[in-house]
Amino acid sequence: MLLEIEHISKVYRKGCVANDDVSLSVREGEVFGLLGPNGAGKTTLVNQIIGLLKPTSGTIRIDGVDVVEDPDFARQACSFQAQVQVPITGLTILNAIELAGRVRGGKKDEVKARAQELIDALDIGEWAKKHGETLSGGVRRLVSFCMAAVVPGRIVILDEPTNDIDPLRRRLLWQEVASLKKAGSSVLLITHSILEAEKAVDRLAMIDLGKVLGTGTPASFKEHDAGYMRLELVIEPMAQKPQPPEFLSKTVDLGSRLISSVAEKDIDRAMAWASEMKDAGIAEEFSLSPATLEDAYIRMIGRADALNNDGEAGV
Amino acid sequence: MGRWVRDYPLMLKWQMLSNTPMLVLMFIVEALIAVGYVIGFGYIIPNITTQSAMYLITGAPVLILLMVGLVLVPQVVAMARKEGTFEYLWSLPVPRSCFMAADATVWTAITLPGVILALVVGSWHYHFALHVSPMVVPTFLLVTLTGIFIGYAVAHSVPKPEIAGVISQVLVFVILIFSPIYYPIEQLPNWLASIHRVLPFYYMANLMRGYLTGKTPASVGLAFAVVGAWCAAALIVAFVAIRRRG
Repeated sequence: MLLEIEHISKVYRKGCVANDDVSLSVREGEVFGLLGPNGAGKTTLVNQIIGLLKPTSGTIRIDGVDVVEDPDFARQACSFQAQVQVPITGLTILNAIELAGRVRGGKKDEVKARAQELIDALDIGEWAKKHGETLSGGVRRLVSFCMAAVVPGRIVILDEPTNDIDPLRRRLLWQEVASLKKAGSSVLLITHSILEAEKAVDRLAMIDLGKVLGTGTPASFKEHDAGYMRLELVIEPMAQKPQPPEFLSKTVDLGSRLISSVAEKDIDRAMAWASEMKDAGIAEEFSLSPATLEDAYIRMIGRADALNNDGEAGV
Repeated sequence: MGRWVRDYPLMLKWQMLSNTPMLVLMFIVEALIAVGYVIGFGYIIPNITTQSAMYLITGAPVLILLMVGLVLVPQVVAMARKEGTFEYLWSLPVPRSCFMAADATVWTAITLPGVILALVVGSWHYHFALHVSPMVVPTFLLVTLTGIFIGYAVAHSVPKPEIAGVISQVLVFVILIFSPIYYPIEQLPNWLASIHRVLPFYYMANLMRGYLTGKTPASVGLAFAVVGAWCAAALIVAFVAIRRRG
């Protein structure tokens, strides 16, 4: 294992428990996702890996080295895209990426070439010579990713890398994440988007209230939902939400959406009910689809407020 | 050490570029402070003698350097802390001492034009000549770095960044009114004068004034020792604060 986290607990001074006996590991060359709602303790965990915070108890090892004792080693081994915007006021995109690469020990010419490669890959060339303070949040986020990827560490830590980014460039970014993996780096990914995580990660951990609820592949999380489909109803604005019939289970109210689990034997009944809701002007539209990681997420976290209204896990 | 030598120019470039948008504004503010300081005393003391003017003007460099170190630095650092800037910077594989050195270099460079302007305008306006000793260079560096390190120590040690802003406001008031920088220490009540014999401000002003007017500052050894001790103590506190993990 490249990264081993064993029994990490982090209790802040006022008694707030951010991490509670967290153990997980990341293999060499895999993309590992950390998924959980707001305040789950994901960013706190990452900040302990790179030595910004010190655990109250437990050990973190990178390649066998105890990085709680030697945080400098962690900063050499990990390149990091923070959740906060990167400080690039006064720097052009090129300046910022090249400086980050040089600081991470890259050679001038190689860093220059790699910076251009990333700028092209993420289609941000039109802003290459613009200063940080003039860029939109999404472009700044992409620059921040480039700064972590220009000379990638053995572990690349990406904390909410797709926040504020438009859908087309999100797709380009996920391709670059795959390229990092292909080049041999492990990627530790904290993401808002469950659907994107499902496609991007090899394994993941679900974390809530500071505890790891489960670890496994996306498929292993969905095994529990075998034999079930997901019925999603988009409720008409101003319409009264319907009471789901008894053959629909685990119904979650996401404001404008109702998501329920349907056993395969009840699909016809569920479709008929959903059509009825649409004809009655209660549902704007509905869809039936295989269970997703999001369903497993809702089941494990066990509360609807773990999802934003747009169906994304909180930070 | 090799890493430090490699990273210092990179961090210096980073810091210089980062401060570029503010540089013009900083220079304008410094120029206004410097010129305002010089001209303003003419209004406070209408028939000021050349001797008194020289005393006041040679206090200006220390005042400007302290304003930058104790006021601007904590406010800029506090803002950066609030925005989470250090969360990124501290994750880089760069020694924090290297980052601090680069930052201090930039701040030192920023203070220089204001100091020179105050002295040039002041000596021209009040018709006196300065006799600058080469010792003014180490004095300038010591005073500047002491101010910057105290500012750093304050800004990084307080639990909430907002508090650093409040502290810096109090410091401005204390330094402007109650520090014997542009008036003799004898004018203070005894208890306050005693405090200032432990604080660095009085000694900073003595050293700077002496080396700008061609006279050996009074108690030069003691002055360097006190200011040097404050510089070292502030550096240690700042360094411990920036290396601390929450």
